[in-house]
Amino acid sequence: MTDLNLLYEAVVGGKLEIAVETTNSAIADGVNAHSIINDYLIKGMEEIGQRFENGKAFVPNLLMSARAMKGSLDILKPLLKDETSASLGKIVIGTVKGDLHDIGKNLVASMLEGCGFEVINLGVDVTSEKFVTAIKENNADIVCMSALLTTTMTYMKEVIEAIEAAGLKDKVKVMVGGAPVNDTFATKIGATAFSDNANAAVQTAKRLLAV
Amino acid sequence: MKKQIITIQPLGKKIEVNYNTSLIDVLHEFGVEFPCGGAGTCGKCKVKILEGSVQKSSKHQQKLEFLGLSDEWRLACDSNVIADITIEIEQFSNLILADESEFEFTAQKGFGIAVDLGTTTIVAQLIELSTAKVLAVEKRINPQVKFGADLISRIQATLDGHLPEMTKIIRETIGAMIDLMIAAGKVEVRKVVIVGNTVMHHIFCGYDLTGLSAYPFISERLAAEKFKTKDLNWNFDPEEDIIFYPSIGSFVGSDILAGIVATGLHQKEKYTALIDLGTNGEIVVGNNKHIVCASTAAGPAFEGYNISMGMRAVTGAISSINLVDNMLITNVIGNVEPKGICGSALIDAIATLRALNKIDTLGEILSGENSIQIAGNVSIIQKDITEFQFAKAAIAAGLKILAKNLNIKLEDIEQVYIAGGFGSYINLEHVVQVGMIELPEEKIKKMGNTALIGAKMFLFNDFEICNHILVNCKHINLEEDTDFQDTYIDKLYF
Repeated sequence: MTDLNLLYEAVVGGKLEIAVETTNSAIADGVNAHSIINDYLIKGMEEIGQRFENGKAFVPNLLMSARAMKGSLDILKPLLKDETSASLGKIVIGTVKGDLHDIGKNLVASMLEGCGFEVINLGVDVTSEKFVTAIKENNADIVCMSALLTTTMTYMKEVIEAIEAAGLKDKVKVMVGGAPVNDTFATKIGATAFSDNANAAVQTAKRLLAV
Repeated sequence: MKKQIITIQPLGKKIEVNYNTSLIDVLHEFGVEFPCGGAGTCGKCKVKILEGSVQKSSKHQQKLEFLGLSDEWRLACDSNVIADITIEIEQFSNLILADESEFEFTAQKGFGIAVDLGTTTIVAQLIELSTAKVLAVEKRINPQVKFGADLISRIQATLDGHLPEMTKIIRETIGAMIDLMIAAGKVEVRKVVIVGNTVMHHIFCGYDLTGLSAYPFISERLAAEKFKTKDLNWNFDPEEDIIFYPSIGSFVGSDILAGIVATGLHQKEKYTALIDLGTNGEIVVGNNKHIVCASTAAGPAFEGYNISMGMRAVTGAISSINLVDNMLITNVIGNVEPKGICGSALIDAIATLRALNKIDTLGEILSGENSIQIAGNVSIIQKDITEFQFAKAAIAAGLKILAKNLNIKLEDIEQVYIAGGFGSYINLEHVVQVGMIELPEEKIKKMGNTALIGAKMFLFNDFEICNHILVNCKHINLEEDTDFQDTYIDKLYF
């Protein structure tokens, strides 16, 4: 039998290869995909998030862990039969138009996914139309926007206006983040919440949806 | 009581002080020297007030007049802080790297001026065109630093309506530098060549920067620009038009074009790389057929920004660290108590601490503490290590992605040139150890200010050499490459 604790440790330690190997052999053993995710992947991501919170792990650790978790999750996802039942909520995420910065946003997406949310990642250079369409199509609970440049973060306001214009304001919560973004800016543009790191984003999302 | 904030440029450091604190106390901590002991007779501690104001007594005014200093200057030794201020420290501009290297040229008559307009610093040289000899040098901190350290904050400032002022101050500054050199050399200048990154080019020319403010970072105006001195309000009359050389694409400008010419990268059959460790962190890889380039914005960490005890290479800065018998041996500029660490020594610190196994392969401090003492009261904290990892991963990943775009392996690069003021002081062995450049040390060579060397070579050549490079050179947006993220994360490891 596969020792799935190895998977938990691979996620916490950020070891992609071991995570993938262990996942494959667990599937071969016939272990249920849901339980691999809930009992090992999510637990691993929660542990690294907690260490980050306590100053015992740092952004490079988070990036490595997220990558290991994602490697495993990509194998498991196609095996999930009724996907939504286990989800804490649906989140649409993207880096706003004019901005190509992917790494921080993908880290947030992976942390959210790794902690039990269903995440629709729209990528980078995302227009307000694309955000609105994705919110509607997926019936999203939260939309997360990222920008790394002072020159592009202003576009977040346009997205929020488009969300209002589409009549989605009461249906979807808006979270913003990225190096130049702060609480004051978030309030000014009418965002629901701001997070300054990937772990805080998970906590904020949980708080907003009361899960 | 409300604190006053002093912003020190070009370091970008903000310090909170009590009302009426004397500047001498504050600046001493940053390695500023007071040769006449604060008597106000030497003028060496002069600071330029970029924002806010510092009142002067009539005695202070007399000293300024005695030293021939204009109204924007104050003597730090006679200044107290009673409002938020932004200052530029004159002593720091002595750190800017000029160039004395030799190159091949065809003798011409008359005299020329080459200007390297950098994001943080400006260097200009007066050249005798019959001998290529440097007759005079002027160095300045770019006065635009008050609008932000990096290119994006400069662009933001232009979008906020400051473009006319920024254009005016940069033209005035370069004009004043040229005036001083002409006066020193007592010669007539025949031609002037200016190089700089695309943002500096646009601001100098007064062009709109909206196109460069967001992806796809395209500007219609990359071409060379010619000026008459009267367009610029300059006081001399050269025979030829003043030329601001053309940009390559996106943020990669004529400073890198000049760097390519200086290294001869475009003439060699074998592949060569040029890495400019300046504020914008440009990388070029290529040969006589194909050239690719990118900017990484990795530079600020190497210049001491975002580093808790980072400082410029002035008195009190740890300038290098070596490992002798498992002990950290530090060099401190001026042999005084260390006050901080400069960019080159940050690489040394990481490399030596890794060798001592005090930080692990992912940069974590193994003692479980948040900081590691380097010498005296100077330590580096976990966040400094992370900042450094981001910067070095950007360079290492950038190099790899550019090689991939040329369909070559990293090992196919025969020679790597490191350019930039900071680049001249680094320990190459340590650069290789931390994985910033994943090639053997023998392949890496420091070349100094390649932008200035290239600008001087432009004085002797006609424009043709640039056209060949511009045609063969392709700009790559690293973030657009599907392998970039994975490569970048891999390169965070030591």
